[in-house]
Amino acid sequence: MGVAFQVKDLRFRYPSSGADTIKGISFEVREGEIFGLLGPSGAGKSTTQKILVKLLDDYQGSVAYLGRDLRSLGTEYYEEIGVGFEMPVHFSKLTALENMRFFAGFYKQTADIEGLMQRVGLWEYRNMKVGEYSKGMKVRLNFVRAMLNKPRVLFLDEVTNGLDPKNARIIKDMIAEYRAQGGTVFLTTHLMNDVEQLCDRVAFCVDGRLVEISSPRDLKLKYGRREVKVEYRDNGSLAAASFPLDGIGFNEEFQRLLQTKEVETIHSGETSMEEIFIIVTGVEVR
Amino acid sequence: MNGLLKLISGEIRRLVRYKILPVSLATTVLWVVLLWFLSPAEAVQIAPLLIFVDAAVMAILLLGASHHLEKQEGTIRSMMVMPVTPGQILAAKTVASMILALESAVVTSAALFFIHSVAFNYGILLVFVAAAAVSHAAIGFVLSLRSRDFTTMLAALLGYMFVFTIPSVLFSLGAIDSKYEWLLMLSPSHAASHLISSAVKGEYSAAKAAIGCLYLAALSVVLFKQVVCPAFKANAVKG
Repeated sequence: MGVAFQVKDLRFRYPSSGADTIKGISFEVREGEIFGLLGPSGAGKSTTQKILVKLLDDYQGSVAYLGRDLRSLGTEYYEEIGVGFEMPVHFSKLTALENMRFFAGFYKQTADIEGLMQRVGLWEYRNMKVGEYSKGMKVRLNFVRAMLNKPRVLFLDEVTNGLDPKNARIIKDMIAEYRAQGGTVFLTTHLMNDVEQLCDRVAFCVDGRLVEISSPRDLKLKYGRREVKVEYRDNGSLAAASFPLDGIGFNEEFQRLLQTKEVETIHSGETSMEEIFIIVTGVEVR
Repeated sequence: MNGLLKLISGEIRRLVRYKILPVSLATTVLWVVLLWFLSPAEAVQIAPLLIFVDAAVMAILLLGASHHLEKQEGTIRSMMVMPVTPGQILAAKTVASMILALESAVVTSAALFFIHSVAFNYGILLVFVAAAAVSHAAIGFVLSLRSRDFTTMLAALLGYMFVFTIPSVLFSLGAIDSKYEWLLMLSPSHAASHLISSAVKGEYSAAKAAIGCLYLAALSVVLFKQVVCPAFKANAVKG
């Protein structure tokens, strides 16, 4: 698996700010993976993404895209990437289809607009002005906009924020399919559900620094409690007991409980990504 | 180049869909009605002012309105991640602004001809109107990019008009002595007004026309290169 982005000692300061927003971060995004950048508000996630999509130029350190210095790339870079913004980015007095056709017209290769809009459930509303769309419809249209040029790399910011579970599922399925076809995804979000379901690796950004980079599974192993929790009925009332996961097969007390009690639930002590977020960043998830 | 043409085509389509072009045309029709009730001499006096208002003041106003609306809609940010340069986006918006000014000049000139049989060198007028529209588009961008929202942009426009446009109007009404006109030519508004007026009235001072054109062209280049282009991207990213 090649490296899509190689970021080394990245630093950035806004002209109006007295301190660096990004304080020397290094990471790589591999081709064909979904890489999540997580962190509390103001941690530097959006600034990092703006640098990677070349909206901010005046940074220190180096960013390489497929081995080429990002600074040396011109507008042809935008043929290769798709950017899904969190906020709506469409002309409100044009219809959804007119918007998509306008944006698609600038790319050398374009995706099947009808197919994409069908998939996210907007094709039947294609002739409605975007100004009349609900928030969820605008979010789905943002995703279609990002996919218009069949991008090699997809940047997504809070991609399912404001969507109902059914539509969020559709978008997440589309992202997983995109990855399965070789696409690379750079995802910034605070929705830990998305992270658990989508990301191959995640990086936690706190106050302009990366404090942890790993896969969700490894993070769960690192921060999880290695124990098994059993809930059971004891003389009609609900009781619970915890057992160390190590050597569980030889734990006599555990065996006896399984054989003598009416067990209702058994869970390993897996820590959720939400709990890991709080542990790593020290900030509650919004 | 292909990208620029597509951007211009998109701008023109939006001028129609956002009802900016129809409103501009309706305003010009009002000018035509006004010219209908005037004598030929009065019409020739007032027509340059009407064309100037559309080419200069309305250009700034409409550009500011569309800039702040597009910022709200987030479409500028979306365009910044397309395979086009910020310069091409700015050029397309400037051309759209120029089209509105030229539309007003063409309709007003046609009204003068068909109602009062007044004819003049239309080619020169269109060149002067284009120079006025481009320079005032640059001024419109500067005011928009330095304003928080459309309301503060309107306040900035009023300030601009107080300093640069009102003295020019006072001059055309005879309230300012003609010996001060060279000083007034430092005002982009007066330079534009002078050029348009000289084209409609057919009273050229070659030196003044050349200086006026060069001044507006130089002002446009300096503003776009030094102020508008660097601020445009930063403004779009800030959202």
